[in-house]
Formats: sequence, C-alpha cells, structure tokens
Amino acid sequence: MAAKSVPVTLSSVTKIFRDPKTRAEVHAVENANFDVKPGELVTLLGPSGCGKTTTLRMIGGFELPTKGRILIGDSDVTFLPPNGRQTATVFQSYGLFPHMDVFDNIAYGLRIRKLPQSEIKERVEAVLELVGLSDLARRAPGRLSGGQQQRVALARSLVVEPQVLLLDEPLSNLDALLREQMRVEIRRIQKSLGITAIYVTHDRIEAMSLSDRVIVMRDGRIQQIGSPGDIYERPVSMFVAGFVGKVAFFPAQLEGMEADGRALCTVGGRQVRAGSAAEGLGAGARVVVMARPESLRLVGRGEAVATGLVTARVYLGSSVEIYVKTDAGEILVQLDDPSGKTIPSEGETVWIGFDEKLVRVLPAE
Amino acid sequence: MFTKKKLIVFAVVCAIFAAGEYWIFSTLQNTFEKNSVKEMTSLVRAMTASAPKDDEDLADWSGQLAGTYAGNRFFVIRGVPGEEGSESVGGDSALFDILGLPANAATAEHAAESVSYLEVFRWPEKVSFSGVPYTLMVAPVPDEENGSARATLLAALDSSGYVAYGRLVQTLALVAFVLFALGFGIATFSRDPISGYAILVLSAVVVAFVAYPLFEAVRLTLVREGRFSLDVWKTILSNRQYLQALWGSVQLGIVTATISTFIGFMYAFAVARTSMKGKKLVTALATMPVISPPFSLTLSIILLFGKNGIITKQLLGLQNFNIYGLGGLALVQTISMFPIAFLTMQGVLQAIDSTLEDASLDLNASRWHTFSHVTLPLAAPGLLSSWLLVFTNSLADFANPLLLSGSYHVLSVESYIEVTGMSRLNNGAALSLLLLLPTLTAFLVQRRWVSKKSFVVVTGKPSTRLSDLASPGARRALTGFVAVVSGLIVGLYATIVAGCFVKNWGIDYSFTLVNIGEALTRGRQALVSTITLAGIATPIAGILSMVAAVILVRKKFPGKRILESLIMTPFAIPGTLVGISFILAFNKPPLLLVGTGAVLVINYVIRELPVGLEGGVAALRQIDPSIEEAAADLGADQATIFRTIILPLIRPAFISSMSYTFVRSMTAVSAIIFLISARWYHITIQIYNFSENLRFGLASVLSTTLIIIVLAVFGLMRLLVRQSEFLEKTVTTQ
Repeated sequence: MAAKSVPVTLSSVTKIFRDPKTRAEVHAVENANFDVKPGELVTLLGPSGCGKTTTLRMIGGFELPTKGRILIGDSDVTFLPPNGRQTATVFQSYGLFPHMDVFDNIAYGLRIRKLPQSEIKERVEAVLELVGLSDLARRAPGRLSGGQQQRVALARSLVVEPQVLLLDEPLSNLDALLREQMRVEIRRIQKSLGITAIYVTHDRIEAMSLSDRVIVMRDGRIQQIGSPGDIYERPVSMFVAGFVGKVAFFPAQLEGMEADGRALCTVGGRQVRAGSAAEGLGAGARVVVMARPESLRLVGRGEAVATGLVTARVYLGSSVEIYVKTDAGEILVQLDDPSGKTIPSEGETVWIGFDEKLVRVLPAE
Repeated sequence: MFTKKKLIVFAVVCAIFAAGEYWIFSTLQNTFEKNSVKEMTSLVRAMTASAPKDDEDLADWSGQLAGTYAGNRFFVIRGVPGEEGSESVGGDSALFDILGLPANAATAEHAAESVSYLEVFRWPEKVSFSGVPYTLMVAPVPDEENGSARATLLAALDSSGYVAYGRLVQTLALVAFVLFALGFGIATFSRDPISGYAILVLSAVVVAFVAYPLFEAVRLTLVREGRFSLDVWKTILSNRQYLQALWGSVQLGIVTATISTFIGFMYAFAVARTSMKGKKLVTALATMPVISPPFSLTLSIILLFGKNGIITKQLLGLQNFNIYGLGGLALVQTISMFPIAFLTMQGVLQAIDSTLEDASLDLNASRWHTFSHVTLPLAAPGLLSSWLLVFTNSLADFANPLLLSGSYHVLSVESYIEVTGMSRLNNGAALSLLLLLPTLTAFLVQRRWVSKKSFVVVTGKPSTRLSDLASPGARRALTGFVAVVSGLIVGLYATIVAGCFVKNWGIDYSFTLVNIGEALTRGRQALVSTITLAGIATPIAGILSMVAAVILVRKKFPGKRILESLIMTPFAIPGTLVGISFILAFNKPPLLLVGTGAVLVINYVIRELPVGLEGGVAALRQIDPSIEEAAADLGADQATIFRTIILPLIRPAFISSMSYTFVRSMTAVSAIIFLISARWYHITIQIYNFSENLRFGLASVLSTTLIIIVLAVFGLMRLLVRQSEFLEKTVTTQ
C-alpha cells in the first residue's frame, strides 16, 4: 500500500482573506516557508486562529494562496483543485458520507478512479484490516462511535494511496482515553506506510508525542520549526516556550555571552550562567530566563533567584507540584520523589533556585 | 492560474474564433445583400417598365408609384440627370437634392453614366429620411425607339428590414463570441470549470428570462415613438378608472389581510397553545386551500352564493343578491389565504418558549393577563409579518378577481384587460408595475422593521409543553370557531364535487354523469398539454434550483448577490407582470417564443426556481461542507460530487421542489393566461372559460380532476420523502 514517499515544500506562502463585513484584509498566513521530508510526520501547532488549518487547506487545495508556491514532490500544485492532487485529508468532523455504509465510504475514492471491482474489494478489505474495522464494513457511519468514525475517515484517506496525508485536528472530537489510543494508532500506521504526513493540532501533547518535527505558528506566522525536543528545550521565544509546556520566566539582565554558548546574566540580584540563549541577543538586552518546572528547586535564601508564599500543593505520587506566588508571577516547582522530604505547606515562604545548566535566556516580550 | 502561456493560448484561440466567425457572418451578410440588390434592381426595372408612354404624363407618375409602393420615395427626371435638356418633373425633391450635393458629384456622374447606358445604378451609401434607412436606386426609363433613356427614376426603397437583419446578424455574432470567450476562459483559467459553466448557464437563463423581459416592460412604459416619455404614466395616474383599480386592490388587500390574520391567529393559537383535539385534521384541512387549484373556491362560492346559488336562491329565496364584488372577493381570498397566516403564526408561536408563559402563570398572573401581556406582545411582529404576507398575496391574486370581481376593479385584472381586451400593452405593463408598489412597500416594511423587532426567543431546545393557556370556556369558543371555519372549507370542496354530478346548477338538480364525459372530452387537449409541459418543466426546475443552491451556498464568485436576487425576483413580483413582460420580450426576434410550448415551460421554470432554491439552500446549510470537500479530496470533480453526494443528501428538498413545481405549474393562471396559444392550452384557463360561459358542471369536473392530481402528487412526494428520512437524521448527527 505504500506509495513512494515524496517531500512537500511551501515557499513564501501567504493567504489574505477579506472580511466579508468590514472588507478589511485578514492575513491568515504570512510568508510560510518549510519543507516536509519524505515519510516525515510534521505537526502544525498553534492556538486557534493562528493559520495552521488554513495552511493545511492550501496544501490540500481547498484554499488558494494569495502568494507563494506549494510543491508536492517536484510538481507545483499551487493552483490545482483538490481532486487534481495526490493528497488525502482526514477532516476534524470526518466528513463521512452519511448515505453510504463504511465499505462504500472507503471505496468512494477507488470508484472515482474506476478501478476494477475485485481490486476495490481487496484494497478496502486490506485497509479495514489495518484500522481494525473488518467486522463493521456494512454499518452506516451514523451508527458508529466517534473513534470508529475516525478510523473510517483515516481508512478512506489511506486507501487511495495518497502521496501526502493531511490530518486536520483529527482527534479533537474524541474523549481523552480514545485520543491517546488513536494517537498511537495513527503514528503506527503512518510509520508502517512511510507516508508523508502533515498534522494540525492545538494540543501540545499530541504534537510532541506524534511528530518528527513541530512547526509552531502564531498569528499567521511560523515561530519555530524543530524536533519536539528542540522546541521544548530550546524555544526561540517566550510564546513558544509557554505554548509547548509549563514554564517560569524570571526577568533578567544579559551581561554577556561566553564562548561555549552559555549566557551570563543577573536574575533577582544574582549572577547566573544560563545553559543556553536564544540567538541574536547582545549584552544589555532586556531578557528573561526560562525554567521548566523540572529544573526548578527549593533552595536556601543564599542561592535563590525568587521568593514567595506557597499557594497550593498538588500531590501526584511520583512528584509534588508546589505553586509559589512570586514577584515574577506564579511559579510551579516540581519536586521529584517526595517521600521522606519535607514539603512546604501552604502559606509558607520558600526560596526558589534553578539548575543553571538547564535554563535558557530568551528575549523579553 | 493566470500564467503567461495560458493567456497567450486564450488570446490566440479567441482570435481564431473571432476570425472564423467574422468570415461566416460577413459571408451571410454579403449573400443577403447580393440577393436584396438583385431583388431591388428587378423591382425598379418593373417600375420603369410601367412608366407612362406619354412624356406629358411623367409628372403624375411619381405620385402613382408612391401610391402603389407605399413606404418608398420617388423622384422623376426627364432625360439623364446632369446632361443637357434634363429637367425635374416631380416627386420627393429630397432625393434630387442628394444628387446635387458637392460631395456626391463623382457618384452622381457615375449614376448618370449608368443611366445613359440603360443600367440601373445603386447608390453605394444608405440614405436616411426621418430616421428610416433607404437604398437609393437610379434607374433609366428606356426609350423603346432610340435605345436611350428618355427619363430617370430616383427610387428610395425602404431598407429598414435589411438594416434590421444586419443588426440581428451582428448581435448574434457578438453574443456567440462573448459566450465562446466566457466558456473558453472558464475552461482555461478556472480550477473548477464545471461550477464556472453552471454559473454561466444560470446567469444566461436569468438575464434572458428575468432581467430582459422586465427591462422590456419598464422600457415600454417609458418610451413613446422611440423617445423617452412619461405619457403612459401620466395617463395611468390621471385616469380615474385606473386609480380606482389601484385603490380597489389596496382596499381588498387590507380587508383580506386583516380578516385572514385574525382567523390565522385563532387557528395557530388553538393548535400551538391549547389542548384542542383533532389538531392534525384541522391543520390538514387548512392547508387544502393553499395547494388547491385556482378558481375552485371561487367556483364553489358562485355555486353557493351566486345568482343561482343553492343558498342564496334555493334556501333563502333572495332575488337580487350579488356575490360579485368586494364582499365575495374578500370571502374567497380570506379562505384561500388565511392558511398562510396560520402557518406563519404557528411557526412564531412554536418558537416562543412556553416557559415564559409558565413563568407568568407561576407568578399568579391570570391566563388572560398572561396572554395579553406575554404571548401577544411576543407574537406581535409575527402578526404584522403574516398580515403583510397575506396583503401581498391578495394584491398579486389574479384568478379569484378574474371570476368574481364583477364591477369592482382591481389592478391585476385591469392590466389583463388592457393587454388582451384593449391591446394597450404599455398601459397593461404600467398597471402591473404599479402593482409592485404596495408589494415592495410591504416587503421593505417587513425587512426594515419587523425583522428588527422580532422577539422570537430561541433557546435551542424544543420547548416541552404545555400549560393550557385558554380557560375551558375560551377553549370551547376557540374550538367552535375553528370547527366552523374548517366546516366551511369542507363544504366548499364538497360543493365542487357535487357540481360535477348535477345537470344544471340552480335550475335542475337531477343526478347526471354527462358533465364528466363532456368536460373530459373538451378539456382533454388542455389537460394533456398542461401535464406534458408541467412534466417537462419539473425536472428542469428541480435540477436547476439544486444546482443554483449549491453554487450560491458553496461557491464564492463576483456577482453572486445579483445572481441570487435575479433568481428570486419572479417570486416577489405579481404573475401578471411576469406574463406581460414575457409577451413583450418574446414576441419578437431574437427570441420569438410566444405561441410555442417552450415559452410556457420557461415561464414555469423561472417562476418555480425561487421556491426550489430556498428549499435547496435550507437543506444544504444542514450539510457539513467537509463532506463535499472529502469527496473532492478523493478525486471527484464538481459534477460527480453533485451527483453522488449532494443530490442524494438533499433528496427530500429535491423531491419536494419538483413536486411543488409540478403542482404550481399545473395550477398556474396569472402569467400563463398571457402566453397560451391554441396549440398549447392550459387546464386552468379551460376551467375559467367554462365558468365564464356558466358551464359550472364542466368547470367543476375539471377542478375536481385537478384537485385529485394535486393531492396525488403530494401524496407521492410524502411517500418518497419519508423513505429518505433516516438520511436527514444521520446528516444532523454528524
């Protein structure tokens, strides 16, 4: 079932809508440039309205870019209609044909391609097997559960052997448990077929656990492209840092950069050598130091970069989360392996420090 | 999309097409010109051959020619013009002046030369006198004896037909080119050519059959003898009879709307807010007048209350009772239109959340207080809008006043009489346009005011019911009222059926079956042609309206608003105006259609398109667009999506649109009456003719037949729609 994997390239793609009421221009996507390598799964991640779905719809052919070009493999598909390009989309609302049963839904694309009846049957049965719905072939879609409908939509897209699989928030209508299952399932199928896939979501956990690379978008602009580890550990901005995970920011003054990439700065009156820094920062810049909860710890007054009162304690078994109200806002400190340690109680004053190697300097926003 | 290569290909192909077309059409025009020159030459030769032998009589000759060949102009010269001894003899001297113009000297010399060789000379340019183009021929009158020209005839032959032909050829060529360029342009540049073609076809249809006829109607009222003039409107607005008709229409509209809204509200309240029994039956009976054919209720009113009516004459013994006029009209219109108010008000009342009334009752308000302080204020905008709806319908009504107005004048009938009786098309057009005025006002009031004042409380969940808002006494009174009106409806339909089997209504009530045989024999042709034409129009209107719905809901393109308004226009304007504008537009080239069945079919399609479109749009809005996107994504083009996805999903709307088209075409009157011909007659007009000739038995039979057909079609529709109900459910659960 695996067709030859192809890359997808977007070069300076811009989409400008005109608001039907005010006639004002809305820049839904602004100068998007990225490549998706053959067989790679890339996620477009961002808050709603950031242009990620519009980008996907332009790749699928449902919207025309105002500027720029889209290539699938070597061919320019920018102006081709959806039925003229080798993409298959799994829609957020699935878009199953309610007047056809599961089998006919999946066979639709093959019938359009006028394949012989025997081959259609063979391929539909194979894909039903793949998504684990073999016994529901004659069910009407209205009588399937959400997860089953999701699988039918996936199967219907896969059976036509598209060059690129596009997934538009496919799991957002499912409950938490099912979502986790389907996530694993989709990744398994995508890997086994080696198909190039682009996945749109606003759920960072989905994006982190599923993708080879993540593209973070905001207000129509691409903020950062990188592996899940990259964007979690080495975000380029406060927005990306905050969007992909829990984080604390400490206002700081950048003193200078060191040869090994570490940054010397002052946080809360203390000299700190942060593990890394965003590019393009010079001495004297107004910056923040970002720290993930796991790099924070409670320290003595002498080592602290911030101090405050404990507002809440959440016991999670393997760790305890402590919320501290400080001058830099509410900060979450994660204490691992809590058994046998003294955990500060609510209302207590604590001092917070961090592991200098793990923190990163970002430009202040 | 607009790549250089495509633009070049497009330009080249268009140029080739234009060149080919130019060649074809100029050949056509040349051939026609050659033929007409030949014809004119031989005509002029025939004239000169008939010249008086005696030179003395030449003076009267031009006058004789002008008498024989009316519409042409002549001038006679003794000898050859320009030569010595030539002398003007008489005729239209304007012709001679042309030869004398200094600019024409060379041509005139040429002409004189031809004449002296006894050859007919055709003036190369057209000449024109008071706006009419002529071909000027210079012909010798040969002298039998010495073979020279003894006189010269200048004949200016009317060439307006020829010029009109040339213009027609040019128009056709231009239209062909524009259509080709648009079609080819869409195919070259569009990502979705099929939708492009659909938009093109729809636009062409509405421009040709909605915009163009209406434009012609308006133009006719503003033009006199080729010039802009307000004479027609001055006549209309200063003539007492016409103004009386306008006032008559408005008066009738007000009376009908007021009574209908009252009855409609009683009905709606009884059905939506009380625990009355037999609601289904009451609703079914109330919808009968909406779908039943025209003339049927009028017919039964005449049978009951007319001069020989069973109630007025037989039961009450009244001699001079006159049902014709405002009273009778208001009665008939109220019965046929209160269901509109009922259905509107029922919708409004159902949309008002009854928990509001429960809350009022719970706060110890009395039922009457609750009704007058909660229900009625909430329903007020709905009341006004149903009043306006009935008012507009009453004004546009043509069938009922046609039979029942007597000496009472209403606009719709007045404009019909102007056109068919008096052959004053421009007055008729102006009167039917005048009818638009109150209709438009009502529409604007509805738009501007009612829709803003609407209090309808939408809670999203159907309000579960229902505290009985009427006290037992009030309920009994309401039920009684509803029962009386429903009984009247049943009685009226029973009268029509009874009318079929009575020998001579009013005089001889013995049972007979003769009527049935005679009516079906005499009405057979009309019935067959009506069913045939309605049958042709039905699938066309059905498909077209669904295509239009898809395009208007799902596609973005410039001019979408205009296209939509043009499609919806025939729904808003009275049928008489549609009919009159159709005869104005299609009684002449390039679209000479009056007298054919096609004009009827087109009229049905155009008038029913809006209803189908509304249904299609409502159905499409319920369908998740990603279903269609998924199909496109899987490789289906727009036509395939329409056939395999959209049509099956909006099947209920499609079927009901088709059955409405069929039924409304079968029962059409107002526009159709202008367009029928001996070959293509219409069953409703046949009913009208029978009634006019007091053959009530025959009219009853045809009316009953039509009612049966209508009910059968709706029954069939219900059956078909019910089968696909499960679809609707799965669509909405998606």
